[in-house]
Amino acid sequence: MVQAINQALSQNMEKDDSVVVLGEDVGVDGGVFRVTDGLLSKYGPERVIDTPLVELGIIGMGIGMALNGMRPVAEIQFQDFIYTAMDQIINQAAKIRYRSGGEYTAPIIIRTPYGGGIKGGLYHSQSGETYFVHTAGLVVVTPSGPYDAKGLLNSAFKSQDPIVFLEPKRLYRSIKEEVPDDMYMVPLGKAKLLNEGDDLSIITYGSMVPTVIDTVKKNKISADVLDLRTLLPLDLEAILKTVEKTGRVIIVHEAPRTLGMGAEISAVISERRIDYLQAPILRVTGPDSPFPYRLEDYYIPNEKRIMKAVSKILEYR
Amino acid sequence: MAEITSQEEKQKLVKAYTAMVLSRTLDKKIVNAQRQGRVGFYTPTIGQEALQIGAAMALEENDLIYGYYRDVPLMISRGVPIDLIINQIMGNSADISKGRQMPSHYGSRKHNFMSIQSPVATNLPLAVGAAYSLKYRKKKNIVLTTFGEGSTSTPDFHAAMNMAAVYNLPVIFLCENNGWAISLPVEKQTKVDIWKKADAYGMPGTRVNGNDILETYAAVRTAAKNAREGKGPTLIDAISFRMGPHSTSDDPTKYRSESVPEGSEKDPLTIAEAALKALKLMDDKMLESIKQKTVKIVDDKFDECEKIPPPNPVTAFEQVYSEQTWMLKEEVGDIL
Repeated sequence: MVQAINQALSQNMEKDDSVVVLGEDVGVDGGVFRVTDGLLSKYGPERVIDTPLVELGIIGMGIGMALNGMRPVAEIQFQDFIYTAMDQIINQAAKIRYRSGGEYTAPIIIRTPYGGGIKGGLYHSQSGETYFVHTAGLVVVTPSGPYDAKGLLNSAFKSQDPIVFLEPKRLYRSIKEEVPDDMYMVPLGKAKLLNEGDDLSIITYGSMVPTVIDTVKKNKISADVLDLRTLLPLDLEAILKTVEKTGRVIIVHEAPRTLGMGAEISAVISERRIDYLQAPILRVTGPDSPFPYRLEDYYIPNEKRIMKAVSKILEYR
Repeated sequence: MAEITSQEEKQKLVKAYTAMVLSRTLDKKIVNAQRQGRVGFYTPTIGQEALQIGAAMALEENDLIYGYYRDVPLMISRGVPIDLIINQIMGNSADISKGRQMPSHYGSRKHNFMSIQSPVATNLPLAVGAAYSLKYRKKKNIVLTTFGEGSTSTPDFHAAMNMAAVYNLPVIFLCENNGWAISLPVEKQTKVDIWKKADAYGMPGTRVNGNDILETYAAVRTAAKNAREGKGPTLIDAISFRMGPHSTSDDPTKYRSESVPEGSEKDPLTIAEAALKALKLMDDKMLESIKQKTVKIVDDKFDECEKIPPPNPVTAFEQVYSEQTWMLKEEVGDIL
């Protein structure tokens, strides 16, 4: 996935000189995860900007660039560090189009690695997508593999809205996929059905996708697996379609359960398709605690927990 | 008092004075209208005309402004018509932001005046990004960003000052130091003179009497020249006084006893009038005539704008994204 994102950045920079990347250690060092590796030597320090250590400055400056015809990609080294910039994201980026009557727009892309599984503890493992999804004006994207990462990022460059691009860091180097060289698009706001089955639907995204797919295959479950890919706005049509088909829904995400994406998805379903449901909607999520270091495997949903929910939902009569 | 010599600058001063009078007149009109229940809320600008308009005198048309919610004089001096300002205050259907923002949050792309936010100092990092873009595109234009002295306590001020200096960007930080952040006096805001903070970031800092239009003009002119020549940012600490309350919802007698009455020697208008007379550009009769004419212009415009109907309810839910989301379409359907 690192290579795919790097290629998307490089190709967009090659094509359009208004594209710049900025963030901590993105230049000489090529980023702590090497996502921006090699860009500095290709495009120079004016376009690959090593910044001081100040997240709100990185994003605020990026918004200022976006307001003036540039296409900034701001990297926040870990999503856990983004909170000092929330004022800029929520009160500036997300509201500029609305408050200026459409005179100004801020098409900034904010890339940031999220999620656990790298022994990062409390402050290098968080899944904070809900904070962004609660903000009208933002588009929130979470790829689950290299192909989608590149295609979604290419689409992000075409968007006129501010985009929060959450990269599941545990999958940065663990998933191998064929990634075409051309600048193909994966549309924003569209989920993808990764597996088809009849007995139940598992709705998931980002870092949990490979775990869900492996679980379904290994246990020979006949399940639809829907990868949301964009969290804001949700792909309502795809969600309702799979609900109509199976009538049994499990939502899997790594973020804490309370007011996580599962809450919204389950509300959206029960408001519209209650008659199709043959069992209560279940959630398999991270617990409502901070993210632990040594015991992180207990935090991230796993095969065992997913299978427990699968058994429960299939047995429900 | 700073010197001006050229004919061009003298003409600028006359124009600037007209803008000061227009700002003051409009300001008083809005405050009165608020008391009569014709306007919901307002942040008066009385007392800060000289520093804003003096700064604008030193700018070019294509320079960019990232201001805050007490910048009516700055807008007027940039050629923004007063009906744009009144329409925003009214939140009517002619308002650029369609009544979405509370009063005092203007903006006009045509005048390179970025739409204004409430959270203080969050405009500063944007100004830095704007300046980066200008430099990157090798344009000769610069950015002016304004804020009150209370804003210097925020992380955004620190981030913006630091980054502007690190990248040597064409941006002027104009601190409208009116002495009060609602109820907090500047001595309790910071232990250091604000202009001295510039030194910590590696940029020039200067203090001016912000009530003296020519002194502010001279300082901004120097800062603008440096910025245009690639010499980077400047912090200007323009000392002024908030002659009115923080907002129409605020009662300053609760926390301060000092005042600067209109027409007193510290009033920026008095100082500007003395300069005009000393330069023999105007006499008392001319000054009085400008004031009277302006009252009529403002009254008429205000009445005219007041007749404009409120925005169509549907507009409250538009322009959130480049395309309206399915959620919002559904929600609007429920509301309307």
